Amino acid sequence: MTAVRAYISGMGIITSLGNGISSTTDAIQKSLRGIRPLTLFATAPNQPLPVGEAANLIEKDDLPRTHQLARLAAEQAMADAREAPDAVVMGVTTGGMLTTENLLKKNARDPKLFRRHATGSVAEDIARRFRCTGPALTVSTACSSGAAAIKIALEMLRSGRVKRVLAGGADSLCRLTYYGFNSLQLIDPDGARPFDQNRRGMTVGEGAAMLLLTANEPDHAVAEVLGAGLSCDAYHPATPHPRGRGALAAMQTAIEDARISVADIDYINLHGTGTLDNDMAEARAIDTLYNRKKPLLSSIKGACGHALAAAGAIEAVVSAISISRGVVPANVGCCRPDPGLKLDPVMQPSQGPIETVLSNSFGFGGNNAAIVLGACGKPKPGQTAADNRPMAILGSACLTGTGRTERTMKAVAKGEACAGMLDLKEISANLSAGRIRRLKRFPRLALSLAIDAHADSGAGDTPAAVFLGTGWGALSETSDFLNRLFETDEQFPSPTDFVGSVHNAAAGQIAMHFQAVGANITMTGGDFSFEQSLMAAGLLSENMRDAFLVIGADESHPELSRLFDRSVAKSSCPADGGGALYLKKGTGNSGLTIGSLFFESSENNPNVVSSLIQQIEAQQSFNDRYGVILAGLPAACRSEGDIQLQTLLALTGFNHPVIDYRKLTGEFASASAVAAVMAVKFLQQGQIPAPLCEDKPGELGEKGALIIGTGDYITAMEVMPQ
Amino acid sequence: MEKLIKDLQVKIVDVLNLIDVQPDDIKVDQRLVGGNLGIDSIDVLEMVIMIEKDYGVKIDNKELGVKVFASLRTLAEYIHAKSPGLTN
Repeated sequence: MTAVRAYISGMGIITSLGNGISSTTDAIQKSLRGIRPLTLFATAPNQPLPVGEAANLIEKDDLPRTHQLARLAAEQAMADAREAPDAVVMGVTTGGMLTTENLLKKNARDPKLFRRHATGSVAEDIARRFRCTGPALTVSTACSSGAAAIKIALEMLRSGRVKRVLAGGADSLCRLTYYGFNSLQLIDPDGARPFDQNRRGMTVGEGAAMLLLTANEPDHAVAEVLGAGLSCDAYHPATPHPRGRGALAAMQTAIEDARISVADIDYINLHGTGTLDNDMAEARAIDTLYNRKKPLLSSIKGACGHALAAAGAIEAVVSAISISRGVVPANVGCCRPDPGLKLDPVMQPSQGPIETVLSNSFGFGGNNAAIVLGACGKPKPGQTAADNRPMAILGSACLTGTGRTERTMKAVAKGEACAGMLDLKEISANLSAGRIRRLKRFPRLALSLAIDAHADSGAGDTPAAVFLGTGWGALSETSDFLNRLFETDEQFPSPTDFVGSVHNAAAGQIAMHFQAVGANITMTGGDFSFEQSLMAAGLLSENMRDAFLVIGADESHPELSRLFDRSVAKSSCPADGGGALYLKKGTGNSGLTIGSLFFESSENNPNVVSSLIQQIEAQQSFNDRYGVILAGLPAACRSEGDIQLQTLLALTGFNHPVIDYRKLTGEFASASAVAAVMAVKFLQQGQIPAPLCEDKPGELGEKGALIIGTGDYITAMEVMPQ
Repeated sequence: MEKLIKDLQVKIVDVLNLIDVQPDDIKVDQRLVGGNLGIDSIDVLEMVIMIEKDYGVKIDNKELGVKVFASLRTLAEYIHAKSPGLTN
C-alpha cells in the first residue's frame, strides 16, 4: 500500500523568545534568551524566580492565558489554510489553571466563572474557531503532551480517516507549576543551563505551538513528520530512570516508526530541562543510542524555558525551522558542558543543511515521546499494512458508589441507581498499603480499576500500554496543593501533592504497578475523556502484540467538582468511579470486541446525528446490529442531549432497550467507562436486565451494544460479539 | 534534643503518611532515606518543607540534604544547630 505522509503545511509558535516563526527564527539565529524574573503574579515576600514568560499578550478577562497562547499559535498555523481541519489534537496540562487560581484566591464560587478551567476546553476552543467539527482531543502526559499529541495526529492521518489535523500544545504559567517545581527543588535560580556542569535545574516557561499536518502535499510544505515513538519509564512518579531506559525506548521506537536509521539523524533537539537527573538520563540514553559519533545536539530550554505541555510542539516547530532554514539552535545557558555527560551540545547557532531531526520530550509519570521530522520530497519506504484487527476484550471492571463490578451490576440488574462515592478504604481494598500512602482518591480509583480489569481476564501476562481518560484528574491533590499554598502565604506548598496533581500521575502509577513500558497516554476531554482514551488506544495499538489497559475514571471532590463540571453542579448526589478494560488486538477469551466509531461536534454541524447513522448503517441496520443503546446525557446539556437521542431513535426506528446510564451511575465525566463495562457484562449474560428494558426485548442474541455520548459532541463506541 | 527527636518521629510519620509505621519505629541512627521505612526523594522534599515551616530551618540543596537526612540524629542535630527558636 502507499504510505500516508504527514506534511507540515502550516505552523505557529509563541514563547518567551517571540511570537511567530520569523521572530523565533531570528531569536534562534542570535541565541537570544527569553528568561526573566516572573511578572505574571506576585510572589512576595520572595523574589520572583526566572521564568520564560511570553511577552505582549493582550489580556482578555474571560479568556485564560493558555487559550490565548493557543489561539495565537493556531492562527499562524492556519493562516494559509483553505479548509477547516478534520481534527484538533492538543497537549495541555495547565489549561485554565491560572484563571482558576485567581478565582479561588478571590473566593469566587460561581461555576460559570470556571467554565474554561478544563484542559480540554483549549482544544475545543481552537476547534470552534477554525470550524473543525471532528474530534477535538486533549492529551495530558505532562511535559511530553505536545509531542504525544503530534504522534496521535500522525496516526489519525495514517488511519486514512482524516486528511488534515491541527496538532500541538499550549500551557501558560501558573502558581501550581511555578511553586510546584520549586517545591521539588528543580528550579535553577540563575535560569536553566541544560547540560552545564554547574546546572541546578529548570526554568518554567509557557507558550504554544501548533502544526497543521496534512496527508496531501501542500504547495509549500515546511517539513514532514516521519515518525514518532512513545514509551513509559514505569520507574518513579517524578524522576527519570537513571539510565534513561524509557528515553532510549522512545527514541528507538520513533526511529523505527520513521523507517530511518540512527545515522540518518542530523540533529537531535534534546529534552534537556537543565535538571541534574533529566540531563543525566537523556545523555546516557543518547550515549547508548550512538556508540560513536553523535549528531548535532541542543536543548532550547535554556533560551525559552520549559513550556511543559507546549514544549514538545514548540520543539517540533523549532525542528522544522532547522530543516527549512538550515539553522541549528545553540544550547543557550550552557557555558561548560558537563564532562560526565559525554555530550557536546551546540554552543553557537550553526548553519548548514539539516534533513532529519529527532526531537525528545519526556515527562512526569515517566511518559516519554520522541518524534522524527524530515525534509520534504525524499522517497519514503512504504508502511506496513494497516492493522484492522479489532480490540478484543480480555477483562473488564467497574466501580461506582455501590461498589465494585459485582455489586454495581447487581444494583443495575434491579434497575437501581449505583451512584455515590465508595468509601476510600473499599476502593483501596485491592491495593497494597505501602504503595498507596501518597495516593489520594483519583489515582486509587484508577489503579484499583486497572488491577480489577486485569484480574478479571485471568491472564498471566501484563499490559504493555496504558490509556487513561479522565475529565478532571487528581482533584484532591490539586485542591490540597492550592489550599496549602494559599494558607501559608505561598511559602510551603507540598511537593507530594504537586507530583500527584498532574493528570497523568495515575497512569504512571498503573505503569509502575504492571511494569508497562509501552505507550502511557492520559486523555482529558471532559465528558468524552474515556471515548478519547479508547480512540487513542485504537490508533496507538496498531500492530501491538501485547495487551493494554483502557480506563476511564473520575473522583468527586467536595469543592472543585461542582465548580468545574457543569453537570455535577446540577446534581444533588456526589458520584464518582469509572471503568476499565483489558484489551488485546485480535481475538480474546470473552468473544467480545470494543471499538470507537464516531466523534463529532454537535455545534455548527446540523447533520451530526444523520452522519452517525450513515456511518453505522453503511455496515448494518441499527436494529440488526444492536440489541441495546446506552446513552450518555450529561445533566448540563440534558435537554439538548435528549433531542439528539430522540432524533437518533426516530431516524433509525430503534426498537430495543435504551438505557439512560447517567441515571444509574450519577454525574461524573467518565461515567461512559462504567457504561462500557455494563455493555460488556450484558453481552456476556446475553440479555438486558428486565427492569431496564421498558417492555422492549431484552434478549441480545448475536447483537451488540452501542454506547453514545450526547451534548457538545456526539460520540459512539460499540461492544460487539466477535 | 530528646524532645526534638520525639517530635520529629511523630511529624515524619504524620507528614509522610507512613502507614504501618509507629513513631518509635524510626530509630535514631537508622538510615532514614532509601531504607526499610520506604522514604524516598519526594518524601525528603516534603520533610524539607515541614522543617522550614515548623523550625524555620532551610535545607535548599541536594548535597546538604544528603548529609542532613542521613539519619534522624543528623536531622535533629542540624535543626538544633540552625533553628532560631530552639534552645537546649
